[in-house]
Amino acid sequence: MALFEYEFMRRAFIVGLLLAVIIPCIGVVVVLKRLTMIGDALSHSSLAGVAAGLVMGVNPILGAGVTCVVAALGIETIRKKMPQYSDIAIAVVLSSSIGMAGVLSGFVKNAANFNSFLFGSIVAFSDFEMTLVVCVSFAVMLAFVLLYKELFFIAFDERAARLAGVPVGMVNNIFTVLTAITVSIASRTVGVLIVSSMMVIPVACAMQLRASYKRTVIYSVCFAVAFTAAGLYVSYYARLKPGGTIVLLGVACLILILSAKKLLKF
Amino acid sequence: MKRFCMTLWVCVAALVLLEGWGGYSPVMGAVNENKSQKLSVLASFYPMYDFAVKIGGERVSVTNMVPAGMEPHDWEPAAADIAELEKAAVFVYNGAGMEHWVSDVLGVLQNRALITVEASKGIKLLEGHHHESHEDEHEDEHEDEEHDHEHEDEVHDPHVWLSPVYAKAELENIKNALVQADPEGKSYYEANYEKYAAECDALDKEFTNILAPLPKKDIVVTHQAFGYICERYGLRQVPIEGLSPDSEPDPGRMAEIIDFVKEHGVKVIFFEELASPKVAETIAKATGAATDMLSPMEGLGEEEIASGIDYFAVMRRNLKSLAAALQ
Repeated sequence: MALFEYEFMRRAFIVGLLLAVIIPCIGVVVVLKRLTMIGDALSHSSLAGVAAGLVMGVNPILGAGVTCVVAALGIETIRKKMPQYSDIAIAVVLSSSIGMAGVLSGFVKNAANFNSFLFGSIVAFSDFEMTLVVCVSFAVMLAFVLLYKELFFIAFDERAARLAGVPVGMVNNIFTVLTAITVSIASRTVGVLIVSSMMVIPVACAMQLRASYKRTVIYSVCFAVAFTAAGLYVSYYARLKPGGTIVLLGVACLILILSAKKLLKF
Repeated sequence: MKRFCMTLWVCVAALVLLEGWGGYSPVMGAVNENKSQKLSVLASFYPMYDFAVKIGGERVSVTNMVPAGMEPHDWEPAAADIAELEKAAVFVYNGAGMEHWVSDVLGVLQNRALITVEASKGIKLLEGHHHESHEDEHEDEHEDEEHDHEHEDEVHDPHVWLSPVYAKAELENIKNALVQADPEGKSYYEANYEKYAAECDALDKEFTNILAPLPKKDIVVTHQAFGYICERYGLRQVPIEGLSPDSEPDPGRMAEIIDFVKEHGVKVIFFEELASPKVAETIAKATGAATDMLSPMEGLGEEEIASGIDYFAVMRRNLKSLAAALQ
């Protein structure tokens, strides 16, 4: 196929598919915990982190990672205080991140630097970013497999999980930190849009199929992989922006599933 | 509760008083001050600032509205900037769709004495993007201001200052406005204009002499900003993205550029200082080309400005990069 003649397309496929495997795994748990918008909130806090890093002369990638982890733990803390309203936690962290990024970016002297850290596109990223994504992907996959049962239990009923002897606090913290790192690295590499939507749309599609938890995870990953591959393929031949194409394909698929369900009444 | 209400009322009253007092004094003050002090000039972004400084010299104090190192395509004035405009005597902007906020902001200003200069006025603008939907546009760029609000739909290429010939035309427009604002300084402004107009002519000659004999004519750029240079010196720009930097490129376009670079033996992919170089680097890596910076001069970094660099210095640096790439 013509599109694989280009190295940037091969790289886009590798990174895109890796992320399509790990992000929905995180997404399933996130959606069940009613934290759907966490991807957006965290990517904005990584923006604040980049600005903070540039202002204080620290490595901006490190800055982004640190603020993302802090923001994610912040969401976790607020969520524990108001368990029924976990979206409040996200709104608080999201708005404070945007506020902080706005204020701090006023102090960034060299906007060129700032832009190159914010800009992410699945068809243009550096070798270093690719390495980071690969490493994080394997870390997340490993954690997801090892903590599979615990996450499953917590996602559905945190209180029952605690009574059953699951170390809820620790598992939650590990999961939160992994989510934060994934978002902060992936959003810089492939763009915020892909990361925050891949966390939710494939999971929403899979949940329509009313399968078991395990099947839902597998279906989500399949959906995400299909959206990414099809999106890259379509955007190449139809000359569209890849990020937006991937997301819109996912949404189209979700609408299709919903209307098919209504027609077939199952 | 009663005490709380009292405090609240006192605060409100104080605010109202402050507001009334603060609203009038700066404008009045500005009128009085300007007679004795330098003419206060606001410029919308770096080249406008540099041109205004060159013409106005010691008789004016010029402020660049876009802070150093910011990308002016996305910049919008904050409340403080509009307050500055209320106090200024002259406002210089490029026009041609570069500053999408100008018509809105000028509409709300109460500063009747403000003299505004659209520096690109009178220059024959190039068509921007190949947008088919804009065929019904009027010839006059003033009529187009409504359409320029969406930067994506830009009709004209606003980057006129990158051609030394048009830079001279912009200098002249700025000179005329300064003469209008400060007739006593007419001969001073005229002399400055003559001096820098001559330098523009010299720069134009340098470009022609150096670029004309070079074998290659194609430049690959990340941001379609060099139309006026290309038009003047017979080059061809192959833009990766459109007129605004920092949009995500589509992969089909990138593949096309990679093929073009390989086919025509393009040696350098140009990126600009204020946008991410990632796309240029990806293409350079795929083709074995080098990357270099070609400045559209939309803003310079703080260090650059501090080092005393100006329009002509940046243009000569661009010329050097172009010459190296087109060998």
